[in-house]
Amino acid sequence: MPTDGAAKRPAADDQPLAELRAILLGPDRAAWESMRQRLDNPSRRAEDVASVLAEAVRLRSDAKLRRALQPLLEEALQLSVQSNPRMLADALFPIFGKAIRKAITAELDGMLQSLSHTLEQRFSWRSLRWRWESIRTGKPYAEIVLLRSLLYRVEQVFLIHRKTGLLLQHAATDAAETKDPEMVSGMLTAIQDFVRDSVSVAEGENLETVRMGDIGMVLTYGPDAILSGFVRGVAPRNLSRVFQDTLDTIEREKAEALHSFTGETSEFDSCRPRLEACLAGQGKPGERKATSRMAGALLFGLPALVIIALAGWWIYSAAVERRWSNFAHRLSSEPGIVLTSFEKRGGTHYLAGLRDPLAADPAALLYAEGLPSDKVTFHFEEYHSLQPSFAAQRRLVELKEELQRRAFRFPTGSSAIPPEQRFLLDDVAAQILSLIKAASALGRTIQIEVRGNHDPAGTEQLNSMLARSRAQNVEAALISLGVPAARLAAVPEDKERETCAAVKEEERLFCRSASFRVIGVP
Amino acid sequence: MLKKKICMVGQFGVGKTSLVRRFVDSIFDERYLTTIGVKIDRKDVSVDGKSLTLMLWDLAGEDDLAQLNVSHLRGASGYILVADGCRASTLEKAAELQQRITQTLGPIPFVLVVNKADLRDQWEVQSSQVAQYGWPTFETSAKAGSGVEEMFLGLAAILIRSHAASEAPGQ
Ligand SMILES: Nc1nc2c(ncn2[C@@H]2O[C@H](COP(=O)(O)OP(=O)(O)OP(=O)(O)O)[C@@H](O)[C@H]2O)c(=O)[nH]1
Ligand SMILES: [Mg+2]
Repeated sequence: MPTDGAAKRPAADDQPLAELRAILLGPDRAAWESMRQRLDNPSRRAEDVASVLAEAVRLRSDAKLRRALQPLLEEALQLSVQSNPRMLADALFPIFGKAIRKAITAELDGMLQSLSHTLEQRFSWRSLRWRWESIRTGKPYAEIVLLRSLLYRVEQVFLIHRKTGLLLQHAATDAAETKDPEMVSGMLTAIQDFVRDSVSVAEGENLETVRMGDIGMVLTYGPDAILSGFVRGVAPRNLSRVFQDTLDTIEREKAEALHSFTGETSEFDSCRPRLEACLAGQGKPGERKATSRMAGALLFGLPALVIIALAGWWIYSAAVERRWSNFAHRLSSEPGIVLTSFEKRGGTHYLAGLRDPLAADPAALLYAEGLPSDKVTFHFEEYHSLQPSFAAQRRLVELKEELQRRAFRFPTGSSAIPPEQRFLLDDVAAQILSLIKAASALGRTIQIEVRGNHDPAGTEQLNSMLARSRAQNVEAALISLGVPAARLAAVPEDKERETCAAVKEEERLFCRSASFRVIGVP
Repeated sequence: MLKKKICMVGQFGVGKTSLVRRFVDSIFDERYLTTIGVKIDRKDVSVDGKSLTLMLWDLAGEDDLAQLNVSHLRGASGYILVADGCRASTLEKAAELQQRITQTLGPIPFVLVVNKADLRDQWEVQSSQVAQYGWPTFETSAKAGSGVEEMFLGLAAILIRSHAASEAPGQ
């Protein structure tokens, strides 16, 4: 093969040879030149390799190439994850996200199921029986619970080839009413197709439950097989997990046989013990409803009851408190009462402040409100209210007391008002008139008794006559001075006699009198 | 235990269900109750001393409204194309179905059945028309029972042979 060096240095005597060479090898030289350039130029070389790389890899898709690529790919992946973990996460999310969600849901469901189960067991009479049984037999309580509380029964298990719907293996309890399992398995597959065709489901979504009356189905899926079971009663959620684990194991052990299955099922006879292990469950499935209702009642009923009771209590005490505060409000708006404090200590209400003696009685108001008197303590200091009605009332009482202190004196045996006492008449008449006025200002009608008295000396008949005429004389004199006759009443006051009996002669003058008593003023 | 899934396909009313009932339960019913979806039956047979369980998927026949549910064909080892000798259109339909199935499942064993042989005097289908396809063909009467067993066993034999061939070492 000629070299470039030789081509660049042709000796003068080689000229004819060179020309001959050029004639003979001219076209090839151009091709070599172009090849040399392709080989020397790294970017051209890369282009060439790139154009055949895919085909070359396809041709060498054997273990050797895989082994050669493995460390490279691993390293590349590692680098990619380190530099941009998000990209890989985004790419994997559609696969893992779904799987993780599913796993979490299944786990939560399982937890809820076992919580309700635990509650059922904690609070039922049955659990007490089991505790007793545990004490009696010396077996651990948990074992007794497990033995007695399984409320479902897996009656039949089918291992089905996913693609053909053919039954690979079947196991059933003695009690199970077995129809032709081959047909059941076929129909199950057909139902799957039917559901899949009828509703648009996402890839990887499968029919998961079938239920009819008391019988339900557990359906779990692998790439090549379906493991399904007829369950009487309500199976716990983790039963699906048991099925799924069993199926995973079978898929792993029989991967090749499943994948290349052409109808020979004897290959799967060895799976039978695994299927039989799925025939779990004991107890009476019928009890389940009642107990789950009980668990439901315990789980939701009890807190609901507590909440209702609390709410009821809250509403009731709020209503009672409202009545107390209404009462306090009423007290404070009552004339003559100043409420300075209203509080509740323990179960007792304390009401304290100032109270005019003429004001309403708080205890009476409390009684009228229908509130219990044993739940209250009053503490009121006395004061005089400046309320006009109270002032007028107080004035009325003063006038009454003033009038009741007045008296006319008479000589022994006489009923005529002595001249030296006549000047008192104007005064008393004026007093009575202002008393009547003050009373009517407060809406009261008063009556004034003029009472005639006598001393113990003398006969009863004479004394009685003397007393009456003394009262009548004073009454007449007052009427003549303008006091309305309707407001006056002359009455003999015999009761004075005993009082007067004890006193000395010089004091008896006070017994021979006419005095006043006001009726209608408190 | 060898099991095979076999599908019955063909236009509505050609006698697919009647053929299965005749073969499995040895009965025939004049009444026509159209199949909805799919009905699955099972029959254990023995061919050349080999036993085989046939899972017979009797699919609803096609008409102008309903198309064959191809997903039911998945995993079938073979199928039976049924035509009604009294209706030439059913044979055309059968040929059309054969093409569709081959497109979906690839070339799998099948037999062509021209049914209602008891009504041969009313047949529209000529033997020459059937022969042009060059498929293994059976003439049957679900009503009289003629050709039914032979047809099913014929397909079973084909299946067993092809199974043996696929299991043979070196494949
Ligand atoms: N005379 C006669 N009638 C038949 C024969 N086979 C079926 N039939 C009648 O044909 C009608 C239809 O039969 P089917 O077996 O229900 O037909 P099919 O193909 O299953 O129909 P689809 O389920 O609707 O697709 C019925 O009334 C049967 O009695 C036969 O061999 N001879
Ligand atoms: Mg039918």
